[in-house]
Amino acid sequence: MSDQAFDLTRRSFLDRVLMATAGAGVAAAAPWAVSAASAASAAPMAPATGDRVRLGVIGTGDRGRALIRNIAKSRNCTVAAICDKFAPHLTKAREIVGANVPAFADHRAMLDARGIDALVIATPLNQHARHAANGFDAGLHVWCEKAMARTIADCGAIITRSRAANKVLQIGHQRMFHPTYLNALKRVKAGDIGEITQVRASWHRNNSWRRPVPAGTDDRHINWRLYRESSAGLMTELATHQLQVGNWFLDAVPTRVIGSGSICFWKDGREVYDHVALIYEYSGGRKFIYTSLLNNARYGCEEQIQGSKGTIEPELGRIYAEVPPKVLALQRMHQDVARGSKRTVPIGGATWFPELPVTTPGDSLGWGEYDETMLQFEGFGEAVRSGKPLPGLLAQAYRASVASLLGEQAMDRGEAMTWPTSLVEV
Amino acid sequence: MAGAANIMRFAAMGTRVELHRFCGGADDALAAARRAIEAVDDALTIHRPSPATAMNEALLAGRPAALDDELLFRAVEAAADGHAATKGLFDVAADLRTGTRWSMIAFDRAARRIAAERPIALDFGGFGKGFALDRASAALREAGVRSALLTAGESSITVIGEHPLGGPWPFSIPHPEQPDAELLVVELCDQALSISATVGAGTRAPERAAIVDPRSGSPVEVPACAVSIESNGTLAEIMSTALLVADRKAAQCLLRDGAGRRFHFDLRSTSELPRKCA
Repeated sequence: MSDQAFDLTRRSFLDRVLMATAGAGVAAAAPWAVSAASAASAAPMAPATGDRVRLGVIGTGDRGRALIRNIAKSRNCTVAAICDKFAPHLTKAREIVGANVPAFADHRAMLDARGIDALVIATPLNQHARHAANGFDAGLHVWCEKAMARTIADCGAIITRSRAANKVLQIGHQRMFHPTYLNALKRVKAGDIGEITQVRASWHRNNSWRRPVPAGTDDRHINWRLYRESSAGLMTELATHQLQVGNWFLDAVPTRVIGSGSICFWKDGREVYDHVALIYEYSGGRKFIYTSLLNNARYGCEEQIQGSKGTIEPELGRIYAEVPPKVLALQRMHQDVARGSKRTVPIGGATWFPELPVTTPGDSLGWGEYDETMLQFEGFGEAVRSGKPLPGLLAQAYRASVASLLGEQAMDRGEAMTWPTSLVEV
Repeated sequence: MAGAANIMRFAAMGTRVELHRFCGGADDALAAARRAIEAVDDALTIHRPSPATAMNEALLAGRPAALDDELLFRAVEAAADGHAATKGLFDVAADLRTGTRWSMIAFDRAARRIAAERPIALDFGGFGKGFALDRASAALREAGVRSALLTAGESSITVIGEHPLGGPWPFSIPHPEQPDAELLVVELCDQALSISATVGAGTRAPERAAIVDPRSGSPVEVPACAVSIESNGTLAEIMSTALLVADRKAAQCLLRDGAGRRFHFDLRSTSELPRKCA
């Protein structure tokens, strides 16, 4: 894509975000997006290199390298250092950023070298808390991949640490910046799907989630998602995203969660569940119903936001109106007789009306072609410059991480877990 | 006298049953009719343990079965009569997968026994709905009901007496695939109506078996709809099914015998149907 085409796409993306968040209800429910898009829209198209926020990326595996590419698209951030203790990952990252960007095998060496304004953490989950603390101690702002940390206590500890250091802490939840999700929120606030009483979400894949282990490293390093020491598996790596969506659209946190998890299909020595099924209860009897599994991909990744007047499926970018119920002919006949009117009764259609899934095509919510992860970093860049975090974002991220870890506890213990009362105020 | 007390809706026979009482009878008449339908459901269902299931298990195992259950016996008897009356077009033993048919069955009415020359299972299907409505309407008549409408789904309808405002009960029957297009308007009085089709939403129901031509053992694939008005629901179901599987010559015989009461629509040639009035 040419620079000019890229600029147009970027402008279009920002316009979409601004349009989606224009209403008061949406602005209040997604203040981070308003703030990030407004700042990005007002910023010069191509600031001088020296004006960019310098980011040091720890963890240059697949996700870390994807972040590096998105940072490169942003107009106010630049990758100023990279770090990974696994040399092949570092080499691949260096191929993206170029040889002039300092590369480190030890994150402490990167921090000691100075030359960066903020840390981007894309390391295994159980290292987030330590790396974030090291970053704050080094006087840096921190952008951290979701989930926040391996334990609920560590999630809170990171927040406390950021406050003590008076530094920005931002967690990666790209759906919060996606125009389709923001349009979905706009439609919800407009009452288009009625009262939301349930969100049904799934992330179904059909693969082992296990990566080949190259020479020079070990399984627990490469496949850290499969081991309990370093990850809660599907809950922290996938469900966190969708729990954030659930909390966001239900405008609340769960009151409690029940769930069942199992290693049902991939009995290959992994420690985390390959099947999870949970019900998160919200006030007023509302529910978030979640399943994730690794041996059937038919239903893929989706959140079905279900209201009395319609349904939104943001991953598909569609909104569906409820199909009005058929007027029953015999019901009408009774009314006719009551008022002395005799009319032909239209009857004899289907013997049985299947309550199969409704397959109406619905309407598009609008699709953002631009990568929303870019806007996350532009927002982060503005937050670093101003020293003020994007409003509302950390609370969403914290609650999503807590919900994912609480779900893990519910499955492990086989009992309902109530929402913790000892969380850090955000 | 329209009111909630005169309507009963419930699920049975794999569909939605509605009983509407307009004139006569005691308040508990509908409850008695419901019990009659549920008793037939319990006897004829093949989806849970029942006398029909037990009979099929015996026949599939190559053993004869005693028809000790009165409802099952009466249903088998009516199915046998229907097979004879339609010259084999109506066949509760026809099965696409196994190639079975009623002619492989030995039914001894006097001894109330049934046997088969090869493993076989009977499926009463839509016939059961008409049979059940007959039992229900008998219960209503016995209770003194003079005007009532009974449906099992929308394709099996029985009326008792006249319309509550007098005269026959008028019904319009839609095209199975074009709900806004009208196939036919009929009038019933103390009669039963059955509608069978090879297309439409009803044919997409789970576990709905294909309609099989028992003579060829092949599914009936021509898009068609058959309508039959008879003196009772059992016969209406038998005739609408027979009409649907009949070839042109056999259909002409059935239509001639039931002129003005039996109809067959080849839906390949009904593209210009009248639209229903709103």
